[in-house]
Amino acid sequence: MNKEIQALIKDFYEHDYILNDALATSIFLLKNLEKPLLLEGNPGVGKTMLAKTLAQHLDTTLIRLQCYEGLDVSTTIYEWNYQKQLLHIKLFEQEEDKLALQNQIFGMDYVLQRPLLQSISAEKPVVLLIDEIDRADEEFEAYLLELLSDFQISIPELGTIKALSQPLVILTSNRTRELSDALRRRCLYHWVDFPSKTGEIDIIAKKLPNIDVELASQVVTFIHNLRKSSLIKPPGIAESLDWAKTLLLMNQKNITDEIVQTTIGSILKHKDDVEFVRNKTVQEFLYPID
Amino acid sequence: MVEVTTSFRERLIDFTMYCRERQFMLGPQETLDAFAIAEKGYALDRTLFQYSLKAIYCKRKEHFDRFDEMFQRFWSRFYEEKLEQRKKQIKQLKKEKDTATIIFLGTEFNLPKKEIKEQEAKETVGANESIRLRLTDFSKVNIADKEKLEELAEELFHQMSMRFKRRLENANKGRIDIRNTIRHGISKGGLLLELSHKRKRKEKRKVVFLLDVSGSMDTYSYYLLRYVMVLKKYFKSLEFFTFSTELTHVTPMLRQNNEQQILQQIGKNVHSWSSGTKIGESLTEFIASYGNKFLSQKHIVVVLSDGLETGNVSVLKEAVRTIRRKCKTLIWLNPLKGMVGYQPIQKGMVNVMPHLDAFESAHNLDSLLKLEKLLMDV
Repeated sequence: MNKEIQALIKDFYEHDYILNDALATSIFLLKNLEKPLLLEGNPGVGKTMLAKTLAQHLDTTLIRLQCYEGLDVSTTIYEWNYQKQLLHIKLFEQEEDKLALQNQIFGMDYVLQRPLLQSISAEKPVVLLIDEIDRADEEFEAYLLELLSDFQISIPELGTIKALSQPLVILTSNRTRELSDALRRRCLYHWVDFPSKTGEIDIIAKKLPNIDVELASQVVTFIHNLRKSSLIKPPGIAESLDWAKTLLLMNQKNITDEIVQTTIGSILKHKDDVEFVRNKTVQEFLYPID
Repeated sequence: MVEVTTSFRERLIDFTMYCRERQFMLGPQETLDAFAIAEKGYALDRTLFQYSLKAIYCKRKEHFDRFDEMFQRFWSRFYEEKLEQRKKQIKQLKKEKDTATIIFLGTEFNLPKKEIKEQEAKETVGANESIRLRLTDFSKVNIADKEKLEELAEELFHQMSMRFKRRLENANKGRIDIRNTIRHGISKGGLLLELSHKRKRKEKRKVVFLLDVSGSMDTYSYYLLRYVMVLKKYFKSLEFFTFSTELTHVTPMLRQNNEQQILQQIGKNVHSWSSGTKIGESLTEFIASYGNKFLSQKHIVVVLSDGLETGNVSVLKEAVRTIRRKCKTLIWLNPLKGMVGYQPIQKGMVNVMPHLDAFESAHNLDSLLKLEKLLMDV
């Protein structure tokens, strides 16, 4: 594998993020091809954390836009600072030259920059995280197309604002709805899956250096087999870590039925899922028959 | 920068076309990106080249899962050998068609050579490959076409789901959003020049699918199951049951994101797959156990079955009559309707027909896609 990619994997590891070769290549291309990267995957597999780690790796700012239904231009790109404009009008209402006054109040000084505009106005390239894009409306996806393909934003009163420095854009989606083909075609793509058993043990060992390897192995085996069950909300890596942390605090050496009954809330967040696990024994998850 | 030979560029274009034939969404930009990575020298490292093309060419999980195998096939000699094998297989299949058989209700019948030739000629004359596959009866898909049909089904179902999504949402109509109208007015000096509307979501239809998974439906059940799985993503209130000799509520198994996991779950939990058919008893059980919850004037009920009842026909008649009375619309999809000369003259279908709002075929991709209109118009 390419030396630069190996260095990338090493540096991410030092920042507590374990990259596999395929994901490292996608990050490498994000930096080199200057195209946005769309990450899809189940909740809790580390998509958001990847963007945070990338910002740390590049020693730059992370600008995060958390998407939700009803997100619009005024909350994502820009909004006019109406109070400041009104104040300016009031102060200079005696001015003869009304056109000059108009030009003044529709300048960049009167624009409130929102995350997308901030990301292209920064002098040094930043990491722009557009998180959970599947929660936003389709109209918002359309706004994004110009930014993602040309790295510019059009403001009717000001014209087109081109990026001073090109941000590294990461979009994440949990696939709660299908994204448009237009958006997908502008991005590199990577499906982030749950890590392998050894990968997840490495993550736990890295984050919790004091943990016993046997306990970490049991936690990961239990969680992996749990994910194979038809749960409403399968546990992610964050849940594995939370549970391992809980067991460590309780000075546990092994997972027992009693411990599962009392700490199951750390990994499962849905009543039906909790009941499903409570009706089974630890052995069924640690040593499944098939 | 590395100098890339013309022959390598041609090979790369061939690979793009190979992926495009397999329903990858690739335009000239992706090919240019592939050239760019080749020029940067990434093609010198096979793994790096594979992962780079994967990031560029894949646009959704279904592509991502298939890409590695496709890459291996195309870029190794193995692919050439397989291609030769495939050609031999197709030749062999053509020979075998002279002695074709059809399995019907567990009995194997030999069909006259002439009849089959006529049927297939009708399907293929004047049609390109994707049209031919769309029109091919699921029960007559040969080994050579199976993979292509899978890929085509995946793409067409995806396109259909996109259309559903668009039709279900309309943001430009609805009641006036006073808050937003005033807000937008501020930038125009307080004048309310443009009215903003609140998103008014269309009431999503509630659909109940009852899929017959008995032995006589074997060749169709898999595709119909995949079809319902796609619809589940866009009808939040879709309920799915399978039946043959017993009724199984499958909806909880559809919660997984991964299609393969869903199929595995269903395989594990639906014990009556490929067994006998007791449509009437199964529908009666559905009414008794789930009727209160899933039968109302807001529900569309779709039964996917060949109607070949082996139980008591009067039970079936009564069950269908009750369902029709309690639901908004009752649609019956029968794969046998796609057969030339089929008439619903079996006892089961004769008793059911008067109570149906629609009776359609579901024997090939084309007929399944036509259902889209039926579901939207209800």
